[in-house]
Amino acid sequence: MALPLVYHWRNVFVRPTTTTLTILVVAAVVGLLGWILGFAAALGSSLAVASDTHKIIVIRRGSTSEGTSALPPAEFNKLSQVTGLARDPQTGRPLVSPEMTVQVALPRKRDGGRTTANVAVRGVDPDRAFAVHRNVRLQGPVFATGTQEIIVGVKAAEQFAGLKLGDVVNLGFGNDRGYRVVGYFTADGGPLESEIWGYLPSLMNAYSRNAYSSAALRVAPDEDPQQVSAQIEGPAIQLTAKTEAAYWHEQLKLVRGYLVIVTGLVLIMSVAAVCSIANTMFSAVAGRTREIAMLRTIGFGRGRILLGFVLEAVLLALLGGVLGCGLCLAWLQFVGRTKDMLGASSFTTLAFEIRLTPTIAAAALAAVVLVGALGAFVPAWRAARVQAVSALREG
Amino acid sequence: MTLSYVLLQNLRRNPLRTALTAVAFALPMAVFVLALSLVVGFVRTSAALEQELRLGVHHRVSLTNFLPDGHRRKIEELDPQRTRLRAVCGMRWFGGRVPGTQQTLQSLAADVDTLPIVYSDIGLTEAEIAEWQRERRAAIAAGGVARQYGWQVGDRVVLESTIPPYRQLEFRLIRIWDESPFPMTFYFRRDYLLDAFERDGQIGTGCSIFWVKCVDAAALRSLQKEIDALFANTPDETRSEDENAFVAGFVQAVGDLPSLAQAMATVVVIIVALVAGNTMMMSFRERIRELAVFKALGFSALRVFLIVLSESVLLALLGSALGILPVVAGLTLIPPDRLRWGAFSPPELSWLAVLGSLSIGLAVGIAAGFWPAWQAWQLRTTDALRRVA
Repeated sequence: MALPLVYHWRNVFVRPTTTTLTILVVAAVVGLLGWILGFAAALGSSLAVASDTHKIIVIRRGSTSEGTSALPPAEFNKLSQVTGLARDPQTGRPLVSPEMTVQVALPRKRDGGRTTANVAVRGVDPDRAFAVHRNVRLQGPVFATGTQEIIVGVKAAEQFAGLKLGDVVNLGFGNDRGYRVVGYFTADGGPLESEIWGYLPSLMNAYSRNAYSSAALRVAPDEDPQQVSAQIEGPAIQLTAKTEAAYWHEQLKLVRGYLVIVTGLVLIMSVAAVCSIANTMFSAVAGRTREIAMLRTIGFGRGRILLGFVLEAVLLALLGGVLGCGLCLAWLQFVGRTKDMLGASSFTTLAFEIRLTPTIAAAALAAVVLVGALGAFVPAWRAARVQAVSALREG
Repeated sequence: MTLSYVLLQNLRRNPLRTALTAVAFALPMAVFVLALSLVVGFVRTSAALEQELRLGVHHRVSLTNFLPDGHRRKIEELDPQRTRLRAVCGMRWFGGRVPGTQQTLQSLAADVDTLPIVYSDIGLTEAEIAEWQRERRAAIAAGGVARQYGWQVGDRVVLESTIPPYRQLEFRLIRIWDESPFPMTFYFRRDYLLDAFERDGQIGTGCSIFWVKCVDAAALRSLQKEIDALFANTPDETRSEDENAFVAGFVQAVGDLPSLAQAMATVVVIIVALVAGNTMMMSFRERIRELAVFKALGFSALRVFLIVLSESVLLALLGSALGILPVVAGLTLIPPDRLRWGAFSPPELSWLAVLGSLSIGLAVGIAAGFWPAWQAWQLRTTDALRRVA
């Protein structure tokens, strides 16, 4: 027979002060953990989305990102020799999208516009770009080719000011061309959602450019992307080709480093939470030696008592975990859930939205159960080894 | 029976609890002192930059848009008497990297005549200034980048640009700037870049930023407004900001570590306060009868109060020291270049941070011990002795 759960539930509240303090320690750690897991998940989904194996990004040799690459039309045209590309079902043309990437400084909403972020502006040809970037889906109309219009990624629209429908964003080399926001687009949560897209010839004209920045290619489904990359990097074309996954993996280097630092710090604090729970449980066990001896006398086995105390600690930790998740939710809701960071070499910002999804909350609570169990194991072991006879005789 | 004797006995009575509390205290304190070191480093850098009184003027659209070279003359003409500005130095982003590596250095081509004035904090000697002006390939590298690639003064260095037209240029180092707040900086002469570009028919004119060295803070504020007004409604509008605001933009962009550090520090203080408070409550509860015996023996209420409070303080200081020492050792032993975050200075070990952490530890100790100590003060001997713990 196991000890009834209600016994432990009541015991948790025998010492309200100690219990409350321990719960708060756990809550503080879990609150941070929830935030970090949320950020890691946002990064992970960004990377997962940006790993279309059959999409290749072509940049100029020697450059490190689309933003620092210049691809004159003569170089771009060499890409027409590439074999193994997917073709447009109507026109039969290979799916190669010429693109130009520039930046515009836009105020962050998060701090009321005190600071600005470098938002990527991508000039594309809608006929080809949407076929290559398959996960880009329009919400509303696409920009017109005849007038100065742009569409905005949903993450950019959320995080940076001046991107509401109908707003006019000043772009162009002289910052004197007003482009009207006519629609939004999604990209399954990928990095493209942090960008602004407009019509390529119009934007090239506005920035007085005669070279593209980069090209995006779609490889035919039955072809090997490696073989296509090899052609592009080979002697005939001599450009740099990266799969989308490799490109974004490199660009998100800073973000990953940041996450490693934060995770390390939270791990350190989790050990502190384990110690705190151990302390509380030791005290609980010490205060209840006679009670435990009693339980042993009336027939509860050692294993049961060990399990029981671990369970009690897990209950305690879970209470803290739930409170911590609540704190984290409240923080995200009322203080802010947005974060943006520069790509490693692209000089443009990537916006992230941190969400505490049920999965993440479950992961945080699982970590809490572990923390509780770890902290309780030694005290529970001690409880299980209480010598019934001598304990009852004492005091 | 001295106070210290009682304290030591009490801490040794339950060594496990003392150890657990010390560890639970030490780990967050380690995070705290690290976070504080980082913040102190940033504050120190920004205080140093403020003294340099540099105003950065760049294109309003973004840093990647070049401003025409002529802006320098126009800015200088705002103050022909030189009562408010000392000099203007145009800089052009080169984005160079050592061939075969992936790391882009903060390499900038700077006006040869004004760099020594605008960046007087480099501390170029007369001889070095003369060499900077004589040697066309002259370059100045910050300590971090020089150590990373093992560069010495006099070395020949080749960088290849990661921006169009992707030129490779060769330089000769005339100075390693060890105290640079930005460890990946690399300066060289703009006329050298211009000539190299023009020889090959490439365009090298245009500056990414103009740094205006001002006479005082008031001059900086007034020039900031006047410069932006001067170029308003022209094809090349400007945005001027002081160096700290300029740097803050980048700090934000690479993850805003100082804010993170502040948030972490706050959470940490809460955690350690709770941990210490918890332990003190437990110790007190278990020792109520003992404290009552002390009182019955004639210890004054104040003395009992002090016994409880100083135990808490001692434990807190012990935990703090345990957390701070490894961090101090780590920051001293690990070469700072390995702790660098992007192009920013690594966390810097400062006595300010250590002292700050110790005082936080002390404050937490007092706060955590106060309530139990107060209860001990008010303890009624008869009640406590009657009570079954």
